[in-house]
Amino acid sequence: MSMSFVRLISRLLVVCLIGLPFQVSAGMIGTDQAVSAAQAQAARALVGSQISRADVAGQLQSLGLTPQAAKDRVAALTDSEVATLAGQIQSLPAGADGTALVVIILIGVLIWWLVK
Amino acid sequence: MCSLGGCISLPQSEALRENPPKDLPPRVELTQVPFHTQDGFLCGPASLAMVFNAAGIASANVESVSPLVYLPGREGSLQAEMLGATRRVGLLAYPLAPKMEDVLREIAAGRPVVVLLNLAFKLIPVWHYAVVVGYDLEKREVIVRSAKKARDDWSFGFLEYFWQESGYWSMLALPPGQLPATAREADTAVAIAALEQAGRRAEARESYRALLERWPDNLIGLIGLGNVEYSLKNLPASERAFRKASEAHPKSAVAFNNLAHVLAELGRLADAEAAARAAVAIGGPTLPEARNTLDAILARRKKP
Repeated sequence: MSMSFVRLISRLLVVCLIGLPFQVSAGMIGTDQAVSAAQAQAARALVGSQISRADVAGQLQSLGLTPQAAKDRVAALTDSEVATLAGQIQSLPAGADGTALVVIILIGVLIWWLVK
Repeated sequence: MCSLGGCISLPQSEALRENPPKDLPPRVELTQVPFHTQDGFLCGPASLAMVFNAAGIASANVESVSPLVYLPGREGSLQAEMLGATRRVGLLAYPLAPKMEDVLREIAAGRPVVVLLNLAFKLIPVWHYAVVVGYDLEKREVIVRSAKKARDDWSFGFLEYFWQESGYWSMLALPPGQLPATAREADTAVAIAALEQAGRRAEARESYRALLERWPDNLIGLIGLGNVEYSLKNLPASERAFRKASEAHPKSAVAFNNLAHVLAELGRLADAEAAARAAVAIGGPTLPEARNTLDAILARRKKP
């Protein structure tokens, strides 16, 4: 089975898993709509937001998460956070450390002399 | 000659040096915030574990937080997921305004602050999360838990230099029902709505109540509280919230639509119809939902 096929299947699975988590109940309008109205965003179709959620979940999977973990993580994000992540997961800041310690000490000494 | 020091601009540290905020205590250190060593690439989970502990989740540690936020393929943790992980443990995630003074104000109010730093260069960034737990206005220093150091003193300028490339990004993790000391109305409402969307309804309810105590007419707060009360089967409280929303915001179709639903569920069909008609009359992007609401109520009223 080719990698791209596996990827396609897992993305489809994520779309199925994500479902409609934010609906309060049939007919009630969710708080997210009040938020997007207050933020003067164009009311995005629910379907559009579901697709970018599935997309972000798929990218998280390709970076080492299980489908369930990716789904749970995306569910904790707002629409605007999902929009920020979509397509940019590889380039956005990902805080880490360890290797930078030497750098921080060197730069730190330098800055100390400059700013003092 | 342009000394290197003159070429590095650190406006916030400069401002704090020239005009230290007079209403802040001169020195604060939150010694009660525990330390979790930031081993390997796990500074995100470790930073969150520290602020989660401080917010009352005693069991949080690097092992329990990592699955919520660490991204193996990036060997690090994304900002959005730092916020998402905070919501998943039932805390309010609040990104602060990009101001060092706001960080100091939160610390003075007893809240440790997670900051995102770039330890290297603009083109080859090395991103790192640290936790600010104290400050000294006179020495112009912050007290930080970072990497393998449980307590480190950094000058304001040192912090600002590494912090500025993240756009001065920082965040709080607050227990439900508490508002940031530097809370801005709209941002706080959005942060609470995000907690609700993440499924933590009972916690969101407490935070909505705190928001409305401070800003009684906030529309997101009123709609959110109404929705949460509804989903927790507390219909009278839900009705009160939506009614208040419809009175304070007579142009909010969402308020009238949701009020109509709750009234219908309470069996007050005539009142429900009036509210649904108001929602339809307002129109806007939620008009299809409002029409459905009205149709459903009319169908119920026709039944014997």
